[in-house]
Amino acid sequence: MCLTETLDEMVSNGTLSPEVAIQVLVQFDKSMTEALETQVKSKVSIKAHLHTYRFCDNVWTFILQDAIFKNEETQENVGSMKIVACDAKLLTQ
Amino acid sequence: MATPSVSAVYIHVVEDVISKVRDEFLSVGVGENVLNELQGLWEMKMIQCGAISGPIERSAAPKGNAGPITPVHDLNVPYEGTEEYETPTAEMLFPPTPLQTPMQTPLPGNIDQPLYHMPTPSGPSDYGSAQDARSNIDVKPGRPSPYMQPPSPWMNQRPLGVDVNVAYVEGREEVDRGTPHQPATQDFFLMSSGKRKRDDYAQQVQPGGYIPQQDGPGDSTSDYFQLQVNQAQSSDKNNRVLANGDLGSSQQHGAHNGYDDLFRLPGAANEEYNTPAEHGHHVATPNPVQNEAAEDEEPSLNEDDDDDDLDDIDQGDDEPDTHHLVLAQFDKVTRTKSRWKCTLKDGIMHINNKDVLFTKATGEFDF
Repeated sequence: MCLTETLDEMVSNGTLSPEVAIQVLVQFDKSMTEALETQVKSKVSIKAHLHTYRFCDNVWTFILQDAIFKNEETQENVGSMKIVACDAKLLTQ
Repeated sequence: MATPSVSAVYIHVVEDVISKVRDEFLSVGVGENVLNELQGLWEMKMIQCGAISGPIERSAAPKGNAGPITPVHDLNVPYEGTEEYETPTAEMLFPPTPLQTPMQTPLPGNIDQPLYHMPTPSGPSDYGSAQDARSNIDVKPGRPSPYMQPPSPWMNQRPLGVDVNVAYVEGREEVDRGTPHQPATQDFFLMSSGKRKRDDYAQQVQPGGYIPQQDGPGDSTSDYFQLQVNQAQSSDKNNRVLANGDLGSSQQHGAHNGYDDLFRLPGAANEEYNTPAEHGHHVATPNPVQNEAAEDEEPSLNEDDDDDDLDDIDQGDDEPDTHHLVLAQFDKVTRTKSRWKCTLKDGIMHINNKDVLFTKATGEFDF
């Protein structure tokens, strides 16, 4: 999303304080989550070979190989890719 | 499919963020112009990403997501979350231990105790007696507590590696799965505690050479008391299966610790003790050998394998990782044998240079 880049730039420029930048990121997170909830209505199904799974600090990481993505419109094949997912329940709290 | 809808969502997010951060900015004393600059830069970069869609800049986009999404939630949420999610883990892990320990107690205990009784008839029936109970209590703060602590890091680590799912799945579908896992983890604990114990003993024995002094802080009173204490210790040991069936060594502990003063056997005891402790109880006890082998293997299995895998992937899949990325929240992750199913929600996919937003995603993977 380039937001972090922008914030980095501005913080290193001295135009923004790190605290404010963090605030922006926090707000971005909220807004993004909310936007995903309210503005997006699509479902995707993924089938793949799971190369690695990892669950650390409440974050799941899957590294997939030969993944097939299907949504309403299209299907995508990807040789290898990564899923990073944090806990939905933690987010809503 | 960097579709209009996707970019519309992005723009909406940008505006939402900017508007909601405005108060923050003003309250901190940062001018509106800075805010506008932020928005301008941000949108410009967004457009660059979307317009050029080169792999590098594209990859920058998901990274930008990865930055905020993961860490920020770590900042906010886990404070509440950890309580909820970690306590069950501990609860799940601890109760089994007491359950299993008593199970194994009688075997070594019954065999051990009589041997101790032979020199000192004073100690009556081992488990029931009030004396032993008392001495147990007396000893526990001094002795076992250090032993109780070491396992805990193992407990915390192991299950996280092995059982992780259980913490989450516990309340949901996979109560069944939790149970099969537990024996394995318990074995780890037992073995690890056993090893700890042995190590601790070795440490205590070697530097001083004379055990009674080492034991002093814990047991220092009369020889009689020491005897009782030692019995208690041995029964303690057995209770917690610290000896892990290595009767020979535990006997040696006992004789060694308790009867040093009485029988003047420190040297022999030391030797005998050290040998099994350091060399893995080859002579005295076949069982511990297995245990130690298991101990040695399993940590190395877990650690090395994981590290290797992760390293390999981090290095080998570096490119694909940055190219194709899904960032989402997980609703649940379940596993049946090697088949993993997960339901994600509210995520972003960046695949084949396209951004796809989704509210729900189901994944089926075979490992």
